[in-house]
Amino acid sequence: MSMGDGTEGDFDMTTRQEQARPTDIRVEVAASGHTTESGEVKPRSIVFDASRLSVFYGDFRAVRDVDLPVIQNQITALIGPSGCGKSTVIRCFNRMNDLINGARIEGTVSYHGIDIYQDEVDPVELRRRVGMVFQKPNPFPKSVYDNVAFGPRLGGFKGKMDDLVEESLRRAALWDEVKDKLDESGMALSGGQQQRLCIARAIATSPDVLLMDEPCSALDPIATLRIEELMLDLKDDYTIIIVTHNMQQAARVSDRTAFFSVKVSDEGQRTGYLVEFSPTEELFTAPREKQTEDYITGRFG
Amino acid sequence: MTDVTDTNLHFHQGLDSLEHEVLGMVDRAEQMVAMAVDAVCTGDVDLAAQVIKLDDNIDRTYLEVHGHWTHLMARFQPLGSDLRKMTVLLQLNQTFERMGDQCVNIAKVTKLNEGLPRVERMVEQIREMGDLARPMIRTAIEAYVRQDLEEARLLPAMDQPVDRLNANMYKEIIAVGSNPEMLEWASKIMMVARALERIGDQAVDFAEQTAYLITGERAEFVKVGLSRSVDDSPS
Repeated sequence: MSMGDGTEGDFDMTTRQEQARPTDIRVEVAASGHTTESGEVKPRSIVFDASRLSVFYGDFRAVRDVDLPVIQNQITALIGPSGCGKSTVIRCFNRMNDLINGARIEGTVSYHGIDIYQDEVDPVELRRRVGMVFQKPNPFPKSVYDNVAFGPRLGGFKGKMDDLVEESLRRAALWDEVKDKLDESGMALSGGQQQRLCIARAIATSPDVLLMDEPCSALDPIATLRIEELMLDLKDDYTIIIVTHNMQQAARVSDRTAFFSVKVSDEGQRTGYLVEFSPTEELFTAPREKQTEDYITGRFG
Repeated sequence: MTDVTDTNLHFHQGLDSLEHEVLGMVDRAEQMVAMAVDAVCTGDVDLAAQVIKLDDNIDRTYLEVHGHWTHLMARFQPLGSDLRKMTVLLQLNQTFERMGDQCVNIAKVTKLNEGLPRVERMVEQIREMGDLARPMIRTAIEAYVRQDLEEARLLPAMDQPVDRLNANMYKEIIAVGSNPEMLEWASKIMMVARALERIGDQAVDFAEQTAYLITGERAEFVKVGLSRSVDDSPS
């Protein structure tokens, strides 16, 4: 603000414009820490690092040249128009694309510095550490209890299962609503409760990362807000990557946002690419790229 | 921007109309500054009354803008440059409403000073301050309309002589001496100088908002004091 003190003085016009924005978040992350609830400052690290990542389905390149570092205990949102490859990219982080015939990648995806597409990496173990929640809640046709206990049983969990189930349901903010109906079918819960059950199920195997592919698109606004609140609570313990087509949702929950767009070739092939990856606040108020600006203000070329 | 489809057309129409309302306020405020200075310098009580009446108009627009702003925000939750423009318009709405209030403060002095002896040198300084403040408002409006960052950055330098004249008023009042009626008149004139100094600051604030709208960076046009000893001292 201008100074209204009425004193004489020389004037200078300084703006912060000249200060460069950090271009390499790897450098920024190495220098930064985050304060935990107990007040302890922990250094952050890069959990996932996609580098020059392209994804092919047969000859068709669905996504090209994505560089995307994912920071620990943050929520990273992937947004963009339909067909921009955001779901394809999130599925690379736990090798879900392996399940699709003819799918392959170029470039690397490293998880805590380990290339997850090496032959030695066991996709099942990877998926235990990197849980996934889908667009449509998909509880197993089993009891609430068994939905949560399923993963740990499969993994040979030896501890007290009742405690683990309760703890997982509590962390998914569902315990109070289901504690008296643990034996009832998970399918009998409301949509929002089912989605939180799926989150509890993902949490039960003690993952490190949660991938969420449009987790609220089938939910009403209140159920959506509950999931968003839950995500903000969970990020103290987990790293979260979310695909959302709801820009306001990305703005509400995420720390960093990656905006993808899509280029259509002369042959009509649609290839997604990363336009901009910035701190969320920056991306939604003063994006660096005109394409991002046009998208978030609703102007499409 | 060829072949661009605006899928957010209703919002952008609302935003354009909001912008139009807000810029209309500053146009009126600029006119009120001229009238208020004229009224106080010539002792024209009727002209002062017109200024006070015009401010009701600005106050009404202020409330309307607030309502339209809230409505647009609730309906559309804009992002990017749209969000920046919304925040800027909300701020400008308040700035211009206050500019109108300062004009009222000036106009009221006209009535209060009626019949009191005047110090012409101080009247001239008030005229000069008005003549400096109005082009500031005009320049700030033009910078906004043209989205011209360089023009916006002219404002702090334009504000400098206004501040200097305001500071000088203290010396003038000491020079008035001990005539109680003249002192009463001069103390009210100091309020006028203060109001004009505030109007200058509000014009600078307007330009800062324009700069933010253009760059996306919150930037203050900083006034540096005389104490440069830190920079000048050998390290």
